[in-house]
Amino acid sequence: MTAAAAAPAGAGPAATAPALRVTGLDVRYGPVHAVRSASLTVPAGQVVALIGETGSGKSSLALAAARLLPSSAVVTGQVSIAGTEVSGLGGPQFRRARARLLGCIAQDAMAALNPVVPVGRQVGELFAVHAGLGRSGAAEAAVAALAQVEIRNPAAVARLYPHQLSGGMRQRVMIAMAMALGPPLIIADEPTTALDVSTQAEILGLIGDLRERSNSGFLWITHDMGVVAELADWAAVMYAGRIVEQGTVGAIFDAPAHPYTQGLLQTRRDLRSGAIGAPLFQIPGSPPAPGVRPAGCPFRPRCLRATGICEAEDPPLTPAGDPEHAAACHHPGPGS
Amino acid sequence: MARAVIRRLVFGLIAVTGVIVLAFLLEYVVPGDPARAIAPRANSPAVLASIRAQLHLNQPLIVQFADYFGNLLRGNLGTSYVQRQPVASLIGPRLATTGVLALAGVIAEVIIGGGLGILATLFGRVRALVSAINLTLLAIPIFVLGLLLLLVLGFQLGAAPVTGGAGAAQLVLPALTLGLIGAPWYAQIVADQMQESLASPYVRTAVAKGLSDRYILRRHVLRNVLSPAITMVGLDLGSYLSGVVTVEVVFVWPGIGLLAVNSLHQLDRPVVMGTVIVGAVAVVFFNLLADVVRMYVDPRTREEV
Repeated sequence: MTAAAAAPAGAGPAATAPALRVTGLDVRYGPVHAVRSASLTVPAGQVVALIGETGSGKSSLALAAARLLPSSAVVTGQVSIAGTEVSGLGGPQFRRARARLLGCIAQDAMAALNPVVPVGRQVGELFAVHAGLGRSGAAEAAVAALAQVEIRNPAAVARLYPHQLSGGMRQRVMIAMAMALGPPLIIADEPTTALDVSTQAEILGLIGDLRERSNSGFLWITHDMGVVAELADWAAVMYAGRIVEQGTVGAIFDAPAHPYTQGLLQTRRDLRSGAIGAPLFQIPGSPPAPGVRPAGCPFRPRCLRATGICEAEDPPLTPAGDPEHAAACHHPGPGS
Repeated sequence: MARAVIRRLVFGLIAVTGVIVLAFLLEYVVPGDPARAIAPRANSPAVLASIRAQLHLNQPLIVQFADYFGNLLRGNLGTSYVQRQPVASLIGPRLATTGVLALAGVIAEVIIGGGLGILATLFGRVRALVSAINLTLLAIPIFVLGLLLLLVLGFQLGAAPVTGGAGAAQLVLPALTLGLIGAPWYAQIVADQMQESLASPYVRTAVAKGLSDRYILRRHVLRNVLSPAITMVGLDLGSYLSGVVTVEVVFVWPGIGLLAVNSLHQLDRPVVMGTVIVGAVAVVFFNLLADVVRMYVDPRTREEV
């Protein structure tokens, strides 16, 4: 395991294998079917944005890929990270391998860091446990990792506790932890949502830099289309547990095929054009409650294009325009 | 942090003074004539009157209090009416004896309660059993539990001595009684804190870092359980030092509690006052100590005080 992980990027199959490949993933919480046969690929070194409302299943999908769901969740399907089939690995085996395979950046760094442990030690324990470094070696490696995420005076910051840091600093510590062992995949769950706008821009800039240097692939969960436009190479839109459209960010923004994606973009355009007093576009209705699923296409009750077939059949993902662009809609294409 | 400690000391001093005033008033308000207690067979009113005069009991309450308080400030706790000895020399050895029992009791309750709490959190199957044990222990009066242990472990099994005294062997049963009575509180607080910690995002982060369950428990979960437990240890040490009357009476443990009860019966006011003051100081001191220790364990509390 150590030898494989220490191999330089660019050698062996890991360089060509995608950072993450999810095939036919299902997540169930009891009767609630949170994710339905989702398939997704994060190419090495690229950012895939996973877009959707609260409850759309985007976090369930990402957490299932990271094997961080509670044991009450039933997950089926295949997950492979950098060419390693992880859905087949046993618990202890995966635990030992996971920090070298993927890192996670949580939304609320304040809650995601242990309040009673200095941040340096929280970063350092990764090196102590997975790289076998001693106490001082791990501490040094932690300071170096903090310097990597452009924390000034990292040796002093390492001794501080989470509550003594600003929100931006805490998120930098999270990023340092996620990237400490240089994993091929980073899963980021709305890492900038809790930050103010200027800090948000700093963190996005930092991640942009790190990504150029690291060749890690990112699965970036967000509902912020602005962040998607700025950072992502690819986008996947989720609705009611399904991926309803995916493609390059260019294709999704310029030629969205699914009426739900079009609605999301329309809302954003209205927000940005900012005509005071002009009505803001809203997608009519609200998403179905988890566990309740309308027959046919789940978006049908809110869709202006819905016809008889939409009620009868749930549309599969089919190519829309270029081969890398797909949408799950019976009536894809530009809206009226 | 030094400022927080000083502030607490000042508040503690105010609290102790308040306790002294209240205890003094209470003692002089309750009916009873110390002179009769000192010389129960003296029938002549003249003898009783002279005793009262000797003890300054005829003076107005405020004068008596001023005298007492003045002596107290000079470090003089007065002289026992009955035993004709300085109160300090009576309390001193008793304080040590009670201290041993208090410490042993707290250690016992932390081990028993902490163990029960950890078991209930980690093993769902024993959770109901632990709840039942907790409820039972909460429902048993302390003297019943003490007598029960004395009967079963002492007389029946002969596992512990049943004679009074303050030796190591005699310590077992009273310490176990204190430990069992206190255990449910620790079990509850440890289980609650552990469950909260295990469900927290920082434990998920630790899992995402590929740390083992044992490592996470030791380095991330138990650390967050320590802080409230320390507060409770401080409270317990303080209140136990002020006298675990019931346990000391049941096991004839020659500590402060036993001294206080006997002195109260004999209307030996200076000794009773002495035990009250020692108790109040102990409570204030151990609370402060617990807060200081907590500041080291939980950095967040350094700023909140």
